[in-house]
Amino acid sequence: MSRLNIIFLLTFVGLLIWITLFQPSAVGWVQRGAMVALRPFMKASNELDGAINALGSESLSPVQLREKLSVAEQDRDRLKLEVIQLDELLAENNQLRQALQYREKSPLSLVATRVINRKPSHWYNTVVIDKGSSSGIAVDSPVIIPMGDEAGLVGKISEVLGPDSAVVLLLTDEMCQVSAKLQNSQEQGILNGQRGALRTLPNLKLRYLSKEAVAIPGQKVISSGTGELFPANLVLGEVVSVSVGIIDAEATVKPSVNFDNLVDVFVILPADRAREKPAEASTLPSNLLSPAPAAPPVTPVTVP
Amino acid sequence: MKFFALLAGMILLSFILQEFLPVFDWAYGSRLMLVHAVFFAAAVAVPFPVMLGLALVTGFIWDARYHVPIYPDDAAFGMVTQSEIPFGFTILIFGLMGALIQGVRPLFRRGRWELPVFMIGLCTGLTLLIEYLVISFQRGGLEISMELWWKLLMTALFSSLVSPFLLLLLSRVADRMRYRIRTEGLKRRHTYDGDAL
Repeated sequence: MSRLNIIFLLTFVGLLIWITLFQPSAVGWVQRGAMVALRPFMKASNELDGAINALGSESLSPVQLREKLSVAEQDRDRLKLEVIQLDELLAENNQLRQALQYREKSPLSLVATRVINRKPSHWYNTVVIDKGSSSGIAVDSPVIIPMGDEAGLVGKISEVLGPDSAVVLLLTDEMCQVSAKLQNSQEQGILNGQRGALRTLPNLKLRYLSKEAVAIPGQKVISSGTGELFPANLVLGEVVSVSVGIIDAEATVKPSVNFDNLVDVFVILPADRAREKPAEASTLPSNLLSPAPAAPPVTPVTVP
Repeated sequence: MKFFALLAGMILLSFILQEFLPVFDWAYGSRLMLVHAVFFAAAVAVPFPVMLGLALVTGFIWDARYHVPIYPDDAAFGMVTQSEIPFGFTILIFGLMGALIQGVRPLFRRGRWELPVFMIGLCTGLTLLIEYLVISFQRGGLEISMELWWKLLMTALFSSLVSPFLLLLLSRVADRMRYRIRTEGLKRRHTYDGDAL
């Protein structure tokens, strides 16, 4: 090896050691810089992803296309583009209204956020959201999504990247561990995902159940509230099967949240942050507040 | 020198393009690791010191963008201050894999791309496997499943599939910039002509 190579190798090793010794604050600073630089591309890729998904959901076989064409020919005088657009707006409005109603009823301090990047990590199940420290979001804040009158747990904040972005560690990741219990039962355990982000929607594992636990397939699994990180009664999933071991039992749980289709989610603020940032806590995306046609008017939300 | 700067530019561009590359659920959540493929292709085409410089830049930006600070359970008791995969770890991996792939550089200089293409896929897979093993070591339990092997294999395959195009691009660009990747070795196919530029 030439002298030049040795000099470069030693310099490389020195810089490597220096970088690995970065304090978390320095790492955060570097990551914020990267986030600022790449954020436009992240948003653009997410929008492109959404557009492609929308195309995929509308793809039809030739037979279906012929049927659709004949129907379209019959109705072409009646159907107008404006009607289609109104339908889309109405559907979006209903979806957002559902989210808004949940937020108004919820006793928790919530911040509405939008997912701007999906699955950025190879070994961890994560997404990036468009709110951060300026909204009072902190590490370990639970992230939820409305499911009718209930809320489903999406995951928790693993990293706040800056004033307007944070990383959510999804419930399907092994490192997102939730104290859970079977509904209508006293059986409690620890629910977590699987290692390696090998699938978008893997089944979860509810471990440390007692050997005598009676878990029926289809039975709901909810958060127990033990540990005070996640509020109680958040919907986690449904029991698929139970296997009894030598010491304890383990249930396989199908998640209730569709992690493949996350768009608008809510972050539960820590109690101290909620007191400090009441205005931020009530902030909703602008599209939630925009008036929608063919639906009752939506009044802006006041600070609870 | 211009060629090296262009390679650095290509790596930066690959970071932007990486944002647009989807995850294939049918391939066990694998994806085309374009940044890795571009770096390994560049590592075949440049001398050792430049490869180290590119490893430093690529690994640093990769960690700046994709590093997830998940701390092992011990961190709760104040025993561990580093996350599972420490910041900067990717630089080390890129450096090691870059050094490994430099071993096939003479072949590439002679215009033989089969092994470099295979090595680009292999190094991509190895990079991910090492990360997985580190995570498993931190969590105190090794979980090896068929799905894991499929994910690694598919990711490596995607890199191998795209690498001929990258190598072709590098060759063309090198020709344009009069950077000699392939020296006299092409004329004397079975004679190793040393590592001089």
